[in-house]
Amino acid sequence: MTLDRLKQHFPWVTLVVLILIVGAMDPNFLRPQNLVELAGDIAPLFIMALGMTLAIYIGGIDLSAQSVANMTTVLATITLPLFGVFSALVVIAVGFLFGAVSGLVTTRLKVPSFIATLAVGGIALSVGQFASGQRALYMDAGQRDRAFGWMLGSTAGIPHELVLSLVLLAFAWFIQNRMKAGRILKAVGAGELAAVASGLRVDRYKILAFALSGMFAAIAGLLFSVKLSGGSPTLAEGFLLPAIVAVLVGGTPLTGGVGGVLNTLIGAMIVAVVRASMLYLDIPATSQQIFFGIVLIVAIALTIDRSKMRIVK
Amino acid sequence: MFELRKVEKRFPGVHALKGIDFKIGRGEIVGLVGENGAGKSTLMKVIYGAYQHDGGEVLVDGKPVRFHSPREAMDRGVGMVFQEQSLIPNLTVMENVFLGYEKQFVRFGKIDWKRMAEATRHQLEKVKLAIDPATVTSKLSFAQRQLVELAKVLTLEERVDGNLVILLDEPTSVLAKEEIELLFTLMRDLRKRASFIFVSHRLDEVIELSDRIYVMKDGAVVDAVESGKAEVEAIQRKMVGRDINREYYREEKQRPYDEGKVLLELDAISLPGRYKDISLKLHAGEVLCLVGVEGAGREAILRTVFGLLAPQTGKMSIHGSPAGAVSASQRVAHGIGYVPRERKIEGIVSGMSVFENMTLSQMDKYTRAGVLDIAAERKLARDWIKRLSIKASSENADCGNLSGGNQQKVVLAKWRSGGSDIILLDHPTRGLDIGAKEDVYDMVREMSAAGVGVVLVADTLEEAIGLSHTIAVVKDGEIKKWYNCPPGAKPSLYDLIHYMI
Amino acid sequence: MLTQDNLQKWAPLLVLVVLVVFFTAVNPNFLSIRNFARIAIASTPALMIAVGVTFVILMGSIDLSMEGSVAVCAVLFATFFAALGGSLAGPGLLAVPATLLVGAVFGAINGLVHVKLRIPSFMASLSMGFVGIGLSLLITGGDRILVEDPLFRSLLTVRLGGFPLMTYVAIVALLAGWFIQNHTTIGRNFYAVGGGEDLAHASGLNVNKVRVICFLIAGVFYALGAMLAVAQIGIAETVTGRNLMFVSITSVVVGGTALWGGSGGVWNTLIGVLIVNVIGNGMVVIGLPSYVQDGVLGLLVITAVYLSTDRRSLSFVK
Repeated sequence: MTLDRLKQHFPWVTLVVLILIVGAMDPNFLRPQNLVELAGDIAPLFIMALGMTLAIYIGGIDLSAQSVANMTTVLATITLPLFGVFSALVVIAVGFLFGAVSGLVTTRLKVPSFIATLAVGGIALSVGQFASGQRALYMDAGQRDRAFGWMLGSTAGIPHELVLSLVLLAFAWFIQNRMKAGRILKAVGAGELAAVASGLRVDRYKILAFALSGMFAAIAGLLFSVKLSGGSPTLAEGFLLPAIVAVLVGGTPLTGGVGGVLNTLIGAMIVAVVRASMLYLDIPATSQQIFFGIVLIVAIALTIDRSKMRIVK
Repeated sequence: MFELRKVEKRFPGVHALKGIDFKIGRGEIVGLVGENGAGKSTLMKVIYGAYQHDGGEVLVDGKPVRFHSPREAMDRGVGMVFQEQSLIPNLTVMENVFLGYEKQFVRFGKIDWKRMAEATRHQLEKVKLAIDPATVTSKLSFAQRQLVELAKVLTLEERVDGNLVILLDEPTSVLAKEEIELLFTLMRDLRKRASFIFVSHRLDEVIELSDRIYVMKDGAVVDAVESGKAEVEAIQRKMVGRDINREYYREEKQRPYDEGKVLLELDAISLPGRYKDISLKLHAGEVLCLVGVEGAGREAILRTVFGLLAPQTGKMSIHGSPAGAVSASQRVAHGIGYVPRERKIEGIVSGMSVFENMTLSQMDKYTRAGVLDIAAERKLARDWIKRLSIKASSENADCGNLSGGNQQKVVLAKWRSGGSDIILLDHPTRGLDIGAKEDVYDMVREMSAAGVGVVLVADTLEEAIGLSHTIAVVKDGEIKKWYNCPPGAKPSLYDLIHYMI
Repeated sequence: MLTQDNLQKWAPLLVLVVLVVFFTAVNPNFLSIRNFARIAIASTPALMIAVGVTFVILMGSIDLSMEGSVAVCAVLFATFFAALGGSLAGPGLLAVPATLLVGAVFGAINGLVHVKLRIPSFMASLSMGFVGIGLSLLITGGDRILVEDPLFRSLLTVRLGGFPLMTYVAIVALLAGWFIQNHTTIGRNFYAVGGGEDLAHASGLNVNKVRVICFLIAGVFYALGAMLAVAQIGIAETVTGRNLMFVSITSVVVGGTALWGGSGGVWNTLIGVLIVNVIGNGMVVIGLPSYVQDGVLGLLVITAVYLSTDRRSLSFVK
C-alpha cells in the first residue's frame, strides 16, 4: 500500500475517526438510532450536494443550487393544490431547465460556470420572489400529506428521507458509473481536450451535468418544502456553502474527474458529524462557526489528493 | 569552469541520468545532442537548477555547488534560453526581461519604468532587436520572442561577475535563415564573457558551431566528439545506438498504395492566417507527410480535417462524399482518427483506465439504452493490449501511469479498434524512446498494409522521409513542393529544407 | 479603431454608459448629483472589497473569505474604537491602523493556509470565511456594536461637491490600488503569476511569497471596506459583510477581469462595481419591483462577461 493508494481512502477514514472521537466523548452518539437520524436530517443538504457533485465532477461549479432550491419551495407550495403529487414533476422539470440554462451559458457563451450559475441563480431568486409575492407561503396540511406524506415519517426506524436520499444516490451512481453519460462526464473532468479530440460531443454532456445539478437542487428544495410544509424565497438559505463543502471534503476536487457521488455521501456525513459533534462536545453557539471553519481546513488538508494538482491555485 | 561529475538523477521508476560527465571551459560552445527522451532536457534542468541531482557533483570553478532553484543558478551565472514559450504573454517585453529582478529599478517603492525601458533597450541592442520595450509580449512573432529570451538571459552579463554559462534549447527551430546567422554571430561575439551549451536536433548546425559535442542516449553520455572530428552520420549512429538506415523506418515494408481508392480529398481549402489553397488526395495505404517549420500551418490542416477548425473556403470530401458539418464527432463517425501532438493533454485522459480510454471514441458501440456494456469494453481492451503488446498491469490500469510509448499505443488502439481508416498523426513519436518509436513505425506500416490512409506530421525530417509515400512541403500555410518517396529513391534532407525555409 | 480587441477592452465601460443612458431616458431624475451620490455611497464598501479581491483574481486564484474578514474587521474596529475613547479626534484614531493590521493578518493567514497546506484558494478562503464569521460572533456574542462618533459618521454625513467624504476616501484607496498594480514590483508580479505561474517560477520568482503578500494586501482592502461599511450605517455586527462575497466577485468579473487571471485590473473593477450598483439603483429609480433586480443583474452579468471575453483564445471554459 503506497501513500498514493491510501489517499483515496482518506475521506472515509476521516469520517470513521470523527465518529469514534465524538463517540468516545459521548457513547450515546454511537447508538445506531442516533446515527440513522443524523443521516436522515441532512437529506436535503445531501441531495443538493449530489447535484453539485456532478457540476464539480466536470470541473465546474453550481452556485445556483441554493436559489433553485429556494424557488422550488415556492413553486412546490403554489403548484401543490393544482397538481397534487404531480407538482413534483413540475418543479423537477423547472430545476432541470434552470440547470440546463446555466450549462448553455457556460458552453455556448463561454462564461465561466462560477459566474454563469451565480447569474442564473439570480434569475431563480427573482422568479421565487415574484411567484411568492415576497412572503412565506404555507401548504395545506391535508393536501401535503396526501401528495407527499410518504417522504416523511419512518419505517422500521429508518427515516423515509434517508431512503429517498439513498435511492437518489443509487440513481446518480448508476449514471456516473454505468452509463455513457457518466463516462463522458468523467472524461470531461479528467481531460476535456482529450475528450474533444476523441470526437465526443462534450458541450451536450456539460449541459446535462448542470441540468442534473439543477434537478437535484429542485428535489432538495421539494423535500425541504414538504418538511417545513411551506415555501419562501429564502427558505433554503445557508445550504450552498455546506453543500459545496460536503462535495470537497468527500474527495471530489474542484478540478474534477475524480471522486464522485459516493464520496459526497461520505462528505455530507462528515459535515453532519462535525455539526452534531458541536452539540455533543458542548461547544457554545458563538464558537461553532470557528470550530466548523477550522475542522474544515483540517479535513480538507487531510483529504484532498494533491498528486494530480500541478499548480495549487 | 563548469563541470558535472558522475551526475545521477532518478525519478520513480526511471533512471533519467546515469553517471553524466560533462565539462565546459571558458568561452567554449558545447553541443548537446540526442534523440527525444535521451535525457537532454533532464540534464539541462539539472544544470539550470530546476531539478537537483541526487548523485555525483556539479562543480563551478572547481567548487561543488547545488542549485535549489533556477534563481540560484542564475546568481552563479548559469542561465537558460528557453524556446519561445517561456515568456509570460500578458507582460511587456521589459517586464519579462527583468522578471524577478525589478528591485534595481525601484525608487521609494515605485518602479521607474523609464529606467527599466532604457535598460531593456540596452539588452535588446545586444541581440539587435529594435522593438519598443513596452510592447506586450503576446504581440511579438516567434522569432522576436526567441531573441527576447536571449536578451533576458544576457542580463546576467551585468548582474554576475565572472563567467556565464548559457543554455540554448533548440534556439533555431523557429528562426529564419538570416536570424539563425545573426544568432550564431552573436554567440561567437559573446564568447569573451560566456560559454554556451547548444541543444539542437539540427546536427549540421551543431557541428558548425560547437567546440565539442556530447551525444546522449538512454540517460547517459555515450560520446564526446571534438569538433573537426564530427560527422553527421557517426553522431546519428551513436544517438540511435546503431545505423540509421532504411531498416529503422521499416522501409522494406513500404508497399505502393492503392491509387484507385481516394479516402480523403481536400480541394483548395483556405483559412486566412493559418493555411491557403491546400489541395491533396489521400489514398488507401498511403502515408502522406506534411513537412515544414513550426507554425507553417501543418497542425491547422490536421485539425481542419478532424473537424476542430473550419476552413473558410474550399471543399473537403471523405470517402467520396462531402465532409458535411464541422465537428469532430461527425468526422469520427466517418472514420477519421486523430493522434494529437500533446499526448498527455489531448491524446489520453489520464485518470481514466486503459479500457475507458480505448472506447472513448466509440462508446455508442458499447452502449445499450445509455447503459455501458463494461464487460465487452474490457474484452476489447484486453485483445488490443495483447495485439499491440501494451505494457499495462491490466485493462484497468490508469492510462496516466503508463509510459509514453504505451500511452501512444492506447491512442492508436482507440482509433484502430474503432475501425478508423483515415488516421491523422501529429508528432506520433514525440518524447518516445527508441524502442517505442520503432513500435510506432511498425504500426504505421501495418496500417498501410490494412488499407488505412495516414496523414503524418513527423517529429523529425528523417522520420518524415523514412516513413512516407508522399511528402508535401508546407511553408507559410501553402504547399510549396510535392515529393514522391518510393523506397530507395527518397528525397534528401537538404531537398526539403530548401523549400521549408 | 473599433477592432474586436478594442471592443472587448471597452465593453464594460460601454455597458455602463448604455445603462446610464437607458435609466436617464426612462427617468431623467436618474442623472442627478443626488442620485449619483446615492450610488456612490452604496458602492464604496463594495469597491474596497472588490479591489482587494481583484488582486487575488489577477493571480488566477480566488478569495471567498471576505464576508468573514469584513465581519472580524468591522467588530474589532468598533471594539477598539470604543476602547480608545470612541472619538476619531482622540486616540480612537488609532483604531484605524489597528484594523488595517487586523485585515492584513487575517489575509496573511488566509494566504498561508492556502500556500503552506497546499489547499486550493477556493477551499482555504471559504474555510477562513467561516472562521472569520465565527470569530466575530465570539467577539460580539451576536450583538450589534453602535458607532456614533459624529466625526467618524461625518464620512457619510459631510458632503463635498455633493458627495460624502467616504467617496473620496474610496477614491484615494482606489488610486493606491492602482499604484500597487501598475507601479510596484509586487503588483506586476500578480500579473506574472496569473499569466504563467510555472514560467514565473522558472524565471526565479518566489511565487508562494507573492501569493501570501497578495492575500495580505487584499485583507488590508477588506479592512478598509469594513470600516467604510461601518461608517455607512453606524453599526458593526457579524452580518456587516453579508452578500459582499458574491457582489464583489461579480463586480470584478463584470468589469472585465478574467477569472483565470493575468488580465484586467482595478479600473475594470471600478467599472464593474458601478455597473452592479447602477443597475440596483436604476431599477428602483425607474420603478421596477425590487424582485426583478437579481434576475436582471444576472442577465446583465452574463452579457457583460460575454462581451468582454476573448473567446478566440479559449479552448474551453470550466
